[in-house]
Amino acid sequence: MIHDSIIRDRLVTGDKTAADVTRDIARPILNKPSTSWKIGFSLSIVFLGIFVASLFYTLWTGIGVWNINKSVMWGWDITNFVFWVGIGHAGTLISAVLLLFRQKWRMSINRSAEAMTIFAVVCAAMFPVFHMGRVWVGYWALPLPNGFGSLWVNFNSPLLWDVFAISTYFSVSLLFWYIGLIPDIATIRDKVKGKTEKAIYGFFSMGWTGSTRTWARYELVSLILAGLSTPLVLSVHTIVSTDFATSVIPGWHTTIFPPYFVAGAIFSGFGMVATLLVVARKVMNYENYITIGHLDAMTKIIMVTGSIVGIAYLTEFFIAWYSGVEYEQYAFTNRAFGPYWWAYWSMMSCNLIAPQVFWFRWARTTPWFIFIMSIVVNVGMWFERFVIIVTSLHRDYLPSSWVMYAGSLTEIGLFLGTFGIFFTCFFLFAKFLPVINMAEVKSILRNRE
Amino acid sequence: MGHGHHIEIKQEQYTFSPKTKRFTIILMVLGLVLAGIGIANLNNDSHSTATEHKTEANANVHDSHGKDASAHGDHAAAASHDEPAEHGNVPNEQFGPRAEYHSLNKPATTRIFANLLVAGYFFLMISLAALFWYAIQYVANAGWSAAIKRVPEAVMTFIPVPLIVILVVLFLDKNNIYHWAHYEHLHLKPEDAGYDKILDGKSGFLNSTLLFAFPAILVTIWYLLSRKLRSLSIQEDSASKGDVSFFKKSIRYSATFAVIFGFTISIIVWLLIMSVDSHWYSTIFGIYNFITHWVSAITIMAIIILYLKKEGYFGIVTAEHMHDLGKFMFAFTVFWAYVWLSQYLLIWYAQIPEEMYYYQIRWEEYHYNFIINFALCFCVPFLGLLMRSAKRNPVVMTVIGIILILGHYHDVWFMVFPGVFGPGMQIGLLEIGTFLFFSGVFLFWVFTALTKRGLIAVNHPYLEESVYHDTGV
Repeated sequence: MIHDSIIRDRLVTGDKTAADVTRDIARPILNKPSTSWKIGFSLSIVFLGIFVASLFYTLWTGIGVWNINKSVMWGWDITNFVFWVGIGHAGTLISAVLLLFRQKWRMSINRSAEAMTIFAVVCAAMFPVFHMGRVWVGYWALPLPNGFGSLWVNFNSPLLWDVFAISTYFSVSLLFWYIGLIPDIATIRDKVKGKTEKAIYGFFSMGWTGSTRTWARYELVSLILAGLSTPLVLSVHTIVSTDFATSVIPGWHTTIFPPYFVAGAIFSGFGMVATLLVVARKVMNYENYITIGHLDAMTKIIMVTGSIVGIAYLTEFFIAWYSGVEYEQYAFTNRAFGPYWWAYWSMMSCNLIAPQVFWFRWARTTPWFIFIMSIVVNVGMWFERFVIIVTSLHRDYLPSSWVMYAGSLTEIGLFLGTFGIFFTCFFLFAKFLPVINMAEVKSILRNRE
Repeated sequence: MGHGHHIEIKQEQYTFSPKTKRFTIILMVLGLVLAGIGIANLNNDSHSTATEHKTEANANVHDSHGKDASAHGDHAAAASHDEPAEHGNVPNEQFGPRAEYHSLNKPATTRIFANLLVAGYFFLMISLAALFWYAIQYVANAGWSAAIKRVPEAVMTFIPVPLIVILVVLFLDKNNIYHWAHYEHLHLKPEDAGYDKILDGKSGFLNSTLLFAFPAILVTIWYLLSRKLRSLSIQEDSASKGDVSFFKKSIRYSATFAVIFGFTISIIVWLLIMSVDSHWYSTIFGIYNFITHWVSAITIMAIIILYLKKEGYFGIVTAEHMHDLGKFMFAFTVFWAYVWLSQYLLIWYAQIPEEMYYYQIRWEEYHYNFIINFALCFCVPFLGLLMRSAKRNPVVMTVIGIILILGHYHDVWFMVFPGVFGPGMQIGLLEIGTFLFFSGVFLFWVFTALTKRGLIAVNHPYLEESVYHDTGV
């Protein structure tokens, strides 16, 4: 007996049966790649090439090829790092927090959002790893018992907390994603014809039988992992925010940073999920699974988190004035009206003002418009990090060290290149694994009884 | 549970039983008696409180100003003390933010008014949080909570009472509660002795006009929206079955309220509470205050529902609903600790004197309160509600809930009192009495509001979902 109210929209439209679900979602995996897939994948490979070239140049010549200097010692590099880590938030939010809140609409988007999370974290990791310069001793960032003399990590440093927070987040997200995939991999295992494919999918399905006992355990593990992941949604970007907020730099040291960064991360993460899914549902014909209702719900979350971030901007600005600390006051005036005013107002208009269009039903239900808005959101969130990092650093306490900063071609190349990593991974995922969680979606079909 | 069999949905009418009425009146009377004893004691030792409780750190300052320090004039005197400090490495107590703690010679009545401010603010904020909770249910399309929605509807009717209390307190004693209001009333010019550049810089926000205008106007707007939501809900009861027009209107009003509230609640918090420590600032303070009262509001609603169930009402509210309310209490207890830590950790880590003194005085002079605060607001509810069985046990929920509410009330007290009085204050009969009296008034008001309409929102489109609600674990 289902007691869902009649006024609720159906989560899966088109009167799909369980067999339809399997057929629709396994189709891209069982068939030859489509032309649109091939075009998209080739384009991603081009961007991946840009990444490899920029990285090679950076490593061969040294970090000096970036435009960072003695005042702005963090530039595009850390901006990009925070940008990607932020994007990597929606996946776990959707799968863990929305699971705890019993939001069933998450079922057709959680798989791709989790995949996106993992790829985004991989992209993010590139920046702190390579900005170390001597990347081959990168493992010194771990507290390993060592023979390097008195060398030992600094547990007081939020940068080290980052190492722990992000690696934990990555491991748990990967585990969560993989465990969620097991029943679906088993379905694919039973469908593929080739011997090698059968062996590979068979291996990763871990001998899934689909018995009641397996399912019971599977659901228990999912719930426990959801419980474990929920604090991680908060912890990662909280730690990232402390990279800035524990310092005494005006504009960085403010107590609202932890929750404000988390809200911003969810905001940008949902922006990226919307970008991907608006395209995917069209290209892969998943309009009955990722319905207008899903887009509606996602855009509402974008609007809410955008407003929360906006409240934080306004609070920071107000308290800077209220504090009576002239350095704080200057940092914020300089942000809004100094040489980087364009970055500040891009951030304000993209993050606080633009998402307010989602008050209108039309805006929430028109895919092409959502696509444009999702790009706007991510542009805004990139600018947010740029504003925080560069405007606070470029004018410090000593006017003699005031400088301007703009990213070099290599820095820009590295940033564009990470989109290559991201989309290459995503296209591979869309080809070889089911983009929608078949097993879960079958549980919410209305006509299953 | 709940599957496979039909549950009949009947309207229930709550009557305020004499037993319950007696309980709320006992709370009020007991509160008045205790507060009265507290006030009597206050009068007995009012002239000695300031000197008795002073600490070594500022004893010298007091002695040096003992001659000319009157209740209202000592700020100017303290700050005009401009000869160089002779303490060597000892921090110069006459300069900087801590200087404001020296004016301890407050009249005894200030303690009464400060208590009324704490109680008024606490009950105002939980009534508002209940309203926000109610609005969120609509905005988020939540189905499970439809059965219990009459409880937040009753709680939010309380909003005007604490607002009036706060406005009266501000009218009568703002100059003693707020350092900046006292300063404002001195009308100092930059060339005057005791001129405070920081407070002068804040006067565009921290001034008597806005102190009354913002709470009065904003709370009235929120209250009017709550009246609208409440009236839509009662109209829905008598509408024809399947009429969702009131439901849709409620969503619209809820969203309007949620946005206005979200963007403006911090203003009230800054004005009424943060400005008690007039030089201090923290950007997260509004969120922190909101979460404190949000978790308290959910807890109070859970306790009221449990009580009504015990009285034989709310037949359709099951352990599943209580389990979910318990999860909310648990989750926001953790979130409270997160926000608490965000503020504390960052201020501790950066050690900027302007920010640090807020915690310095609370840690050094109020050591036990500091620990008790964290224990009652986090440790006890976290450990107490961790187990699934705890959230489904009415006794455990009530006991932990009451501890949690006491903890958060103490949290508000702890934000206000060290800021108003400096070191040396403690929870006494007056504080306990004020809390009991306000709890009695609050419960009396809420239970009366519950009698005004049926306990079940019989035509709510999600009521059936709520009746068959199952947490799934």
